[in-house]
Amino acid sequence: MNIGKITNIAPTGRFGLAILLIFTTLAIFAPIIAPHDPFAPGRPFLPPSPEHPLGTNDIGQDIFSELLYGARISLLTGFLAAFVSVVIGTLVGITAGYRGGLIDEILMGLTDVMLIIPGLPLMIILAAYLKPSFWNIVIIIGLLWWPGTARVVRSQVLSLREAGYVEASRIMGAGDRWIILNHILPNVMPIVLAKFNLAVAGAMLTEASLSFLGLGDPMAKSWGMMLHYAFSRGGFINGLWWWYLPPGLCIALCVLGFTLLSFSFEEKTDPRLKRILER
Amino acid sequence: MHFAVSYLRGKVIRYILVLFVVITLNFLIPRLMPGDPIINVLGEELYYMAPDLVQELKAEFGLDKPLFEQYGRYLVNTIKGNWGFSYHYMQPVFEVILFRLRWTLALLIPSIIFGALLAVFCGVIAGWKKNTWLDTGLSSLFLFIYAMPHYWLAMLAVLVFSFHLGLFPLGGVSSGNLTSWEHVFDVLHHAILPLVVLTVFKAAYDFLIVRNSVISICGEDYILMAQAKGLAKSVVLFKHILKNALAPLVTVTALQFGFMVSGVLLVEIIFSWPGMGTLLYDAVLSKDYPLLQACFFMVAICVLVANFLADLTYAWLDPRLR
Repeated sequence: MNIGKITNIAPTGRFGLAILLIFTTLAIFAPIIAPHDPFAPGRPFLPPSPEHPLGTNDIGQDIFSELLYGARISLLTGFLAAFVSVVIGTLVGITAGYRGGLIDEILMGLTDVMLIIPGLPLMIILAAYLKPSFWNIVIIIGLLWWPGTARVVRSQVLSLREAGYVEASRIMGAGDRWIILNHILPNVMPIVLAKFNLAVAGAMLTEASLSFLGLGDPMAKSWGMMLHYAFSRGGFINGLWWWYLPPGLCIALCVLGFTLLSFSFEEKTDPRLKRILER
Repeated sequence: MHFAVSYLRGKVIRYILVLFVVITLNFLIPRLMPGDPIINVLGEELYYMAPDLVQELKAEFGLDKPLFEQYGRYLVNTIKGNWGFSYHYMQPVFEVILFRLRWTLALLIPSIIFGALLAVFCGVIAGWKKNTWLDTGLSSLFLFIYAMPHYWLAMLAVLVFSFHLGLFPLGGVSSGNLTSWEHVFDVLHHAILPLVVLTVFKAAYDFLIVRNSVISICGEDYILMAQAKGLAKSVVLFKHILKNALAPLVTVTALQFGFMVSGVLLVEIIFSWPGMGTLLYDAVLSKDYPLLQACFFMVAICVLVANFLADLTYAWLDPRLR
């Protein structure tokens, strides 16, 4: 993405991008910014002070440092899970839309079934059976979040398949693989990017829910795990807001950022939306 | 009528297929996971302490029989309402869940109704007055709520309204030891905060959809026509715009029902509301797998019922299907 494209997006989209850039920077430079080692125990349940800006948790770990390191796990989980889901969704969508016929019917039937199955309870079962680990969470979310992308990509491919330039290259003897790589894929990319941003938002929220239930990786401190500990180890009952408000706020801001960014991508791909906005 | 019937028949066939897939998943997951499936039914303690129980269960589940036969038995049992036994509660899971389901529905159904009403109210105002400070304010507020984890907003609500203002109880469903009328008011008093949190979430899901459909309807020719005829503003707004903005809301309510249920489950935990959410939380903590799987099945049934109700409403609303 070049600078021209960034300044091209709507102000709300730029606001979203700004939030995400701040959090990404904090995540990357967490070891430099963090005043303490987030795993080092100390005096428990300290209120906010210059030494510990957000106090300490039940085993005396610095909450502000936990928060900075949590950005790494939460954002990375979101990105990787969204990547898995969008790759699966795009493959399914292109195959169904381009091949058509029986393959289309089978794949879309599967997509519809997946769309209607309640995701969170199924993910809870899978996460409970498997060992709680960073990668298991990524894979579980990724494998269950693709149907939305598949549906949108398929409907785009259906109209692209009939487009003049695709017909022309087919007549000139281009193979399916060449057409898909050169015509179909570049044209579905904007909507895939929009879906990717939404998927990161969804994956971050889902990770937070699973971790809150205690199904997250105990060794990888995500924002969801912080909320889990704050809830199950007395932070919530005792009203220690500096423990449980900041991680939730960070999740909300990141999800907002990705959602706004996704809207601005969608506006570009859906002329109907643009017409609505110009009215 | 013929179109509506064939439309609904297609939907019902699809829902039965989904139910079948959910049962199959519930059958396969414990058998695909590493380790002895019996350990997942009994829990680790009982598994090592009661070897005769393990043998008994193995025979009961027919684990020595071919997979196909086990599957047939599982299907029949599930349809009969025999969903397994929770060794944590020492009760059949079906009974445990049925008792808790009431309390979950008591939060879910009112919050869906109130949330949709709130969304329609705010969405119509924002769409009608688009690009004013009111529109921008409402849109930003609902978008931000949309981005929050449900249970975190619940925590925030408890912090402000229960801890600091002392307006509502911290959690639970009743203070106990009250006469009948006082009991009803007491339960309502406990229910207000979780209901408000869930209503706001439902409104946040629906707000943008109502707003955008109002804006696109405002540009249609028949609205211009209605205005040119000299109809009062309120007539145009309520008779022409509102009526047409409601149809997408029905579809969205059905599509997002699953998310809404997940939200209720998580919010319940914060308020220690005795519904399926706290049940699920306890089941996760105690690794009560039969209960977890039964919860998944029950939520799936609720989602399918909600979708079917939405289809019925849609068939009734859409003149082409009438």
